[in-house]
Amino acid sequence: MRYVRPLAVLLVVGLVTARSAAAQEQTVSSPAQSAPAPDQTGSAAVTAKDERRACDGCPPRRIGMSLLQVTGINVMYEIANLARGQVTAHISPKSWWENMQQGWVWDLDDFTVNQIGHPYQGNNYFNAGRANGLNFYESAAITAFGSATWEFFGETNHASLNDFINTTLGGITLGEMFHRAGWLIRNTEATGKPRLWSEIGATALDPITGLNRFVSGDASRVSAKPAEFVPSSVAGVASAGVLWRGSQSSAFTGPGDPFLEVDLYYGDTNTGRSREPYDAFWLRMRFGGGSAFSEARVRGRLFGRPIRKGALQFSVIQTYNYQNNDAYSTGSQAIDAAFGTTFKLSERTNFWVLGWGGLTVLGAVDSLPLGLTEKPEEEEPSAGQGVSEGPRFYDYGPGSDFGGLARLVRDGRDVALFFYVGRQIYSLDGVRANHFLQHARIDLLFPLRGPLGLGVSGEYFDRRSFYQDPAQTKQSYHYPQVRGYFTWRR
Amino acid sequence: MKTRGICVLLAWLIPASALAQDAQPSPSSQPAPQSQAAPGPSRLWIVAGGASATLRGHCQDCGQDFPFRHGSSVVANGGYRVSSRLDVGADVFWVKWHNESGHIYGTAINAVAQFRPWASKGFFVKGGAGMAFVRNFVRTLGSNPDDQKALSVVIGGGWEFKVKGRLGFQLFAMQHVGALGDLQTVNGSISNVTANFWSVGGAIVIR
Repeated sequence: MRYVRPLAVLLVVGLVTARSAAAQEQTVSSPAQSAPAPDQTGSAAVTAKDERRACDGCPPRRIGMSLLQVTGINVMYEIANLARGQVTAHISPKSWWENMQQGWVWDLDDFTVNQIGHPYQGNNYFNAGRANGLNFYESAAITAFGSATWEFFGETNHASLNDFINTTLGGITLGEMFHRAGWLIRNTEATGKPRLWSEIGATALDPITGLNRFVSGDASRVSAKPAEFVPSSVAGVASAGVLWRGSQSSAFTGPGDPFLEVDLYYGDTNTGRSREPYDAFWLRMRFGGGSAFSEARVRGRLFGRPIRKGALQFSVIQTYNYQNNDAYSTGSQAIDAAFGTTFKLSERTNFWVLGWGGLTVLGAVDSLPLGLTEKPEEEEPSAGQGVSEGPRFYDYGPGSDFGGLARLVRDGRDVALFFYVGRQIYSLDGVRANHFLQHARIDLLFPLRGPLGLGVSGEYFDRRSFYQDPAQTKQSYHYPQVRGYFTWRR
Repeated sequence: MKTRGICVLLAWLIPASALAQDAQPSPSSQPAPQSQAAPGPSRLWIVAGGASATLRGHCQDCGQDFPFRHGSSVVANGGYRVSSRLDVGADVFWVKWHNESGHIYGTAINAVAQFRPWASKGFFVKGGAGMAFVRNFVRTLGSNPDDQKALSVVIGGGWEFKVKGRLGFQLFAMQHVGALGDLQTVNGSISNVTANFWSVGGAIVIR
C-alpha cells in the first residue's frame, strides 16, 4: 500500500498537468475555438486558424503532450502490475537509482512477454506520438523514450537491453501498422452511429489515438481523412482451413489443426517512390494451427524507389517477426534491403519476384541446454510474481536474414505464391550457439465465386543449431506441413 | 594526463572544423541558380569530441557486483541531415580504461539517429545500435589474447549551441552498452556478460 499512495499522487499530478496543458493549448488556439463549430461552417475554418494541425483532419502537433502521455502510459502499466501483485512493481527512488547504476542487462522473462508484450507496449508509446501530430521518426524517438523510462523507472528489476530493443523497434513496427490500420477503419466524413462505430473500431486497434480523438472532440468532427493515411491500394485476404503437420520421422500421422490466417496488403510495395515510411506494408497473422497464436509478420517499407528506369524496385524494409511452430519459436526485429521486379506475362497476368537480405538487430529463438531433450516444468518463482529467476529456455542475439517471394497474379488475384525466408541468429545471451532457421512455403489458389476462393499449400520448416561447445555439437529438426483452406478476399 | 589529452584533441579539431567551414564554397563564387533561390543548408552532419567515461560490467549468472571503472573517451559522429529535426549516420565511441592488469580499449560503432524535438532549440536525443570491439579484455584477464566483439546499443542526449555559420558545440551525456556474450578468463568462461559505459563530454559540431 505504501507504494500506491505516491503512484496515486503521480497520477493526479499527471492528470492535472495534462488538463492544464490542454487548457493552455486551448488558449493558444482560441481563435479557432471562438469560431463557429466546424461541422456547421465547414472544416476550412479550422484549417485556417489552428496552425498546429498539418491538415484539417490531422491531430494538433503537441510534443509536450506526447511526452506526458508516454509517461501516463507507463503509470498505467505500473498500476496494472501493482494490481496483479507483481513484486517488481514496488518501485521507489532507491530502485530507480540502483537501476541507473547498473545499466542495461539481459532479462529472463517469458518468451511471449518479451516478443509480443513488449512490442505491443511500445506500439502504445509510438501512437502517443502519432496521436499528437508527430511524424513517423519523431514518434520513433518517443517510443525509445517511453521504453527507456519504463525499463529504468517502471520496474524494480534492472533495465533490460532485450526489452529496450524489442519495445522500441517492435513498437515502431506494430505502432505504425496499427495506426494506419485504424485510419483505414475510421470514416472522418461520416456522422451519427456509423461514425461512432468507425471511431470505436479504430480505437480497438489503436487505443491511444482513439482516446485522444474522443477527448479532443476530433472523433465527432467532420473533416477529410489525412492524405498520408489514404493508401494507393488496399487488399485483405482471410484464409480459414485445416493444416496437417508432419514430423521428422513420420509425415502427417497426427490430426488436422484448424487455423485462421489474415493478410493485409496496404499500399503497393512493388512499384513507385515511397512518400513516407509505411505508406506500403504487409501484415500476416495466423491463429491456431498448433498454437493459439502461431505467426505474426509485419514488413513495412521505410523507403522505396524504382531504379533502372523502373525495371527494378529498391526498398528498405523494417520487419517484425513472430513464429511459433514445432521446429522453432522465434521472434525478431530486422531491417532488410530488397530488390523486386515485375514481369508482364500477358495482358491479364503478372509475375512479381522479390529478394531481400538484411540485419537482424535482435532475434530470439527457443533453445535447450545441451543434454536436455525436453523443457522442464517451470516452478513458481520463489522471489514472487513478476520476478524472472530463470532458467530461460531461449537465446538472444543479433544475426542476419534473407529471403525471396514470388507471386503469380491473374486479373489482380494471386494464383500462385512462393515464399522463403532464412534467418541466422548468433546467441549472445543464453546457450552459446549459431541458430539457422528456414521456412519455405508454396500456395496454389483457385477462384471460386466472387471474393471466395480455395487454396492448398505446402510448407517446410527447418532448424539447425550449431553449438559452440568443445564437441561442436550440431542439432537439427525439420518437418513438412500441408493445408487446405478457403479464402475470402476484399 | 587525461584532461590534457582531451584538450589536445579539441585543439586539433577546432582548426580542422574551421578549415572545413572555410572549405564551403562562398555564395559569390557560385553561379546563381536558375530559380535565384538561396542555397539550402548543408546536409552534412559531423561531430567530434571527447568525454569522461565510467564503465561497469555485469554478468547474468555471477551474482556479484562489479566495480565502477573510469577512463577517457573520444566520440565522433558523421552522417546526413534528413530534416531540421533529424540526423542519421554513424557514431564511433572509443574508450580506454584500466584495471589492475593494464589498459583495456573498447570501440563501439553504431548506426544512430539524432532527433531534436524542437527545431529551434538545441536539445537533442539520440539512439542507435551496432557493434562493439573490445581489445585486450582477455589479455588482461587470461592467457590467450583475443579481441572480443559485442552487440552495441547507444542512447543519449544533450544540447547543441550554434557558434558561427555551420560551426557549433554540443554538451552530451550518453550510455553505451556492449553485450559480449561469453568472456574467456583464466578461471574459465563467464557467460552472458554486458558492459555499460556512461560518458559525459563536449564536441564540435559541423552542419
